[in-house]
Amino acid sequence: MEFFLISTLNGVIYGLLLFMVSAGLTLIFGMMGVLNFAHASFYMLGAYVAYAVSSSAGFWTGLIVAPIFVGIVGTLVERFLLRRVHVFGHAHELLLTFGLALIAEETVKLVFGDFPVNYQMPDALKFAAFTVFGTDYPFYRVFMGIVAVIMFVVLWLLLSRTRVGIVVRAAERLPQMAEALGHNIPVVFTSVFGAGAALAGLAGAVAGAFYPTNPNMALELGVIVFVVVVVGGLGSLQGSLLASLLIGLFSSFAVGIDWSAADFLALVGLGEEARSLGGLLTMQISSISATIPFALMLLVLLVRPAGLMGERG
Amino acid sequence: MRQVSLIAIALAGSFTAAPLAAEPLKIGIIESLSGAQTSTGRMFANGVHYGIDKINAAGGFNGEPVEVVEYDNAGGPTEAADKFRQAQADGIHIIVQGASSAIAGQLTEDVRKHNIRNPGNEMMYINVGAEAMELTGEKCHFYHFRYTSTAPMRVNALVATMKEQGKLGSRVYSINQNYSWGQDMQAAVKADEQMGDYEVVGEVLHDVNKIQDFAPFVAKIKAANPDTVVTGNWSNDLLLLMKATGDAGLKVRFATAFLDQPGNIANAGETALGHYIANAYDNSAADSSFADDYKAAKGHFPTFVEPQAAFAIGALQDALASISSDGGEVDVTEIAKALENTTYESPVGPISVRKEDHQTIRPVVVSQVVKDAAYPADGTDMGFQMVKVVPGEEAIYPVQPSCEMKRPD
Amino acid sequence: MARVLLPLALIGAFLLVVPPFLDLGWQNALINILIASLFALAFNLLAGQAGLLSFGHAAYFGVGAFAVLHLMASIEDGLAFPTPLLPLAGAVAGLLAGLVAGFFATMRSGVYFALVTLAIAELFHSLAPHWQGVFGGEAGLSSMRMPWGGIVFGSLIEVYYLTLAWVVLSILLLWGLTRTPFGRLALALRDNEQRVRFLGYNAHISKVIIFAISAMFSGVAGGLQAISNETANYVLFASAVSAQVVLYTFVGGATIFFGPVVGAVIFTLFAYLVSDITHSWLLYQGLIFVLVMLYAPNGLGGMIHQHLRHREHLDWSRLAPPYAVTALGGALVTAAAVFLIETLAVLFSREYEVARRDAGGGFPGYEVFGLDWSPLSPLPWLIPLTLFAAGLWLILRARQPITLLWQQVVAGSVPGDSTP
Repeated sequence: MEFFLISTLNGVIYGLLLFMVSAGLTLIFGMMGVLNFAHASFYMLGAYVAYAVSSSAGFWTGLIVAPIFVGIVGTLVERFLLRRVHVFGHAHELLLTFGLALIAEETVKLVFGDFPVNYQMPDALKFAAFTVFGTDYPFYRVFMGIVAVIMFVVLWLLLSRTRVGIVVRAAERLPQMAEALGHNIPVVFTSVFGAGAALAGLAGAVAGAFYPTNPNMALELGVIVFVVVVVGGLGSLQGSLLASLLIGLFSSFAVGIDWSAADFLALVGLGEEARSLGGLLTMQISSISATIPFALMLLVLLVRPAGLMGERG
Repeated sequence: MRQVSLIAIALAGSFTAAPLAAEPLKIGIIESLSGAQTSTGRMFANGVHYGIDKINAAGGFNGEPVEVVEYDNAGGPTEAADKFRQAQADGIHIIVQGASSAIAGQLTEDVRKHNIRNPGNEMMYINVGAEAMELTGEKCHFYHFRYTSTAPMRVNALVATMKEQGKLGSRVYSINQNYSWGQDMQAAVKADEQMGDYEVVGEVLHDVNKIQDFAPFVAKIKAANPDTVVTGNWSNDLLLLMKATGDAGLKVRFATAFLDQPGNIANAGETALGHYIANAYDNSAADSSFADDYKAAKGHFPTFVEPQAAFAIGALQDALASISSDGGEVDVTEIAKALENTTYESPVGPISVRKEDHQTIRPVVVSQVVKDAAYPADGTDMGFQMVKVVPGEEAIYPVQPSCEMKRPD
Repeated sequence: MARVLLPLALIGAFLLVVPPFLDLGWQNALINILIASLFALAFNLLAGQAGLLSFGHAAYFGVGAFAVLHLMASIEDGLAFPTPLLPLAGAVAGLLAGLVAGFFATMRSGVYFALVTLAIAELFHSLAPHWQGVFGGEAGLSSMRMPWGGIVFGSLIEVYYLTLAWVVLSILLLWGLTRTPFGRLALALRDNEQRVRFLGYNAHISKVIIFAISAMFSGVAGGLQAISNETANYVLFASAVSAQVVLYTFVGGATIFFGPVVGAVIFTLFAYLVSDITHSWLLYQGLIFVLVMLYAPNGLGGMIHQHLRHREHLDWSRLAPPYAVTALGGALVTAAAVFLIETLAVLFSREYEVARRDAGGGFPGYEVFGLDWSPLSPLPWLIPLTLFAAGLWLILRARQPITLLWQQVVAGSVPGDSTP
């Protein structure tokens, strides 16, 4: 029971963190058709900027400065780099973002070193939120969840209730029509890109204090974020939330499950044969917990590329 | 170094009257000098440089100063293989490496194959930190020397000492990384059940340096309700494990192998107090002569893996001194034979080489984290205090039957 | 025809005759260059010719490497298989993996195709360390080349010639493929898949075959690396390996056959020469890639090809001066960037942090390029700034004349010859 409860809590919060990063990515893809390989780099930049700022000006300042800084970087990237290669086609845009991800990782290694940095949460937040079954649950995890929920609510309200939101949604559906109606679509694209980057930067600033902040974080998270946006449906915010929670919960539970395929086969009496075959069949779910999201992504891409909540076609 | 050697040979051939100079001994440090394990690799390199400086201060070898070249293996076995090729090309006689048993596995095989293919031009590998058992087991060969402990040595020492102190308890949980070293630790903990009079109440092997969140593992540990948790984790894996344990408020004693890695104490904070570690050396375990000398040379007290690397080169120095070099070519086989017969007096006890598998029989220091330590760690007020120095003969493990060493004679 | 054959013959002669006289480091570098070139060409069959951008080609490279290593281990245990034919195992494994993976991947196109290939590679990457029997866990597998037919395969030069033979053979086969109708079909699929279908071809099967051939040669390249290193490790499946081949291909130019080779040679050589001098060489690699993507979308090979195609119409007397100015400007900008990056690398390094602590928090001097500087003086900052400004000014000044000249060249060339 304790395992179930703690895993659910951890899973939901990790899922919300994934959502913070993937929200921007899915919006950008839905709108511009650009799959931004450098999106997780914005996450990493956010963590490092927050670390750098918080060392001298405090954690909360870092938390505010990081998304702003990363948002500006994102805006500049879109305006001066992505727009240039737009004429060469989607493949080139993809490749450019790829190169930018490499540069971001190497620049971070240059400035901060090729090892994890000591980005810590402030002592004020280092307490137990509550105790469940004798184990303390750190408040900071709850804090991360709160930030993610606030972000989702703000985003949803912005998109559905404000004028800016309507223009953005129109630009996503029918950009030429929106432009014909007099809206400055390139500016809309740039701002959405910048906003998406800022969101990822905020996620990095918040998560970097809890999870290790190191130059590999973009790569590690980046691949999972792709899984999330594909499974949720490229372009769908709700799908992204659903998929994030799904993957977060799965990752959280899988670590504790020591069953293997052979154990399942034992239920139908084929346990001995499966164990003697070895290999994949005797691998425990906890060991291959990192592999299953990719299998899921493959499945979705092949069976239903629109994802859980994306639109067909 | 990267010249067209044919031209060089042609030119050299034209100077027939020039006398042949003595060949300097060349040592290559193939270490993780970039990548996630940079700080550890750098520390091994520091210790080696300290030792080599001592050799050169005493006159070098073969009438020439010993040359040292650093190669960066970027933390991966593939790059290590490339750098080994480069070391071969540069005429390196002895390679030294310690961070990562996976890289050690690659290098020891490379050295073995090189020696088969180049009889008369052998290379030697001094392993100053890779503790996987297979290096003195399946993969043992004459030109590899392990100048560090192994999992069974550390676990034997920890169990014996903690039992003596009454701090072991009867329920032990083992959590380790899923590769050669971690698997060795798990096996060692299981093997000592009788000797330590405890029960292994749970064991887990997890991905190496990929896990960001150890909370599920802490939950598993809590469910098993152990008295002591034994772990061979290092770097992030140890740091995050301690962090998650602290976050969850779980009160359990840790018996570790790498708690003294810089950054661990600072990150773990007060929760680290009372935890144990078994390693090759601690500043509080000996008189201050080595520590002071090291500080004078390098600017800081010897930390983490620097001492064991320095001791290995110290043993090499003794071995070299026992060889009468005639100012000709360097004979690596002769150095290897001399090293086999060298017993080095380290500040914590004698280090000798076991001929059957080239494992060094060496003392293991068991320490505990205390407040107001004599040698504070990480800029905190906590540090390590020696509890016991377990002599080599008590800590050592039996020769593995998988080691079939072919001797050059 | 002779214009193409002569440089090729020269290169061939160099590769055949010179290597025994080079030291081991250079021989190893040449082997790596050959393997990288083959991998890039195999990748480009899919990406440049068929227009299918794969971001997970490391999977087939790795599969090839492991297959060869297992065969090598069997030969070590006594199997009577000729050592020089080892890469065949890589080819077979790559082909099979490519058929299966390609069947599923080519069900999708564009970004989705890229994501499927990425997922497949990551599947291998995350599964391999746990499947110890096949992939050897964290440490990987290792083996030893066995002698065959009188050759010991112990020294590096023998491995080099084996690699050379296989790479040349593979390149000839790949080149031959482009000359067949099927090769043309690949180009047609890239340009307009629907039309291909209307012509009666089964586009999906065609794409699967191309994918499988590309994977086959990637497997050969991986196998050659396994032969050279005598090990294989799960890190061969990492996204960095997939990234490298993408870099090589697109910097070299995906639109012409030998473009990827240009990229592979440049980057591998660059890595060999520079990686021990500076830790920032991956950053330079990334910067070069982004600059090429922005300003030379067809890659360096594409640029060279452009010049070769219009060589009749190029007036070098008028083109050379602005080119020289641009080259000078580029050199200045590069110097500025290298100066700045190396300076920052030193100032942000751990050693400098220690030096600062020893100096009581001040900013002590540091050494870079063999000279001493102080971070407080304006000199180390003004130098890159002026170099950069000067270089940029030169490049911008030369831009207009070059653009004008090329417009004339393209307009003045025979109609029907100006397809990009």
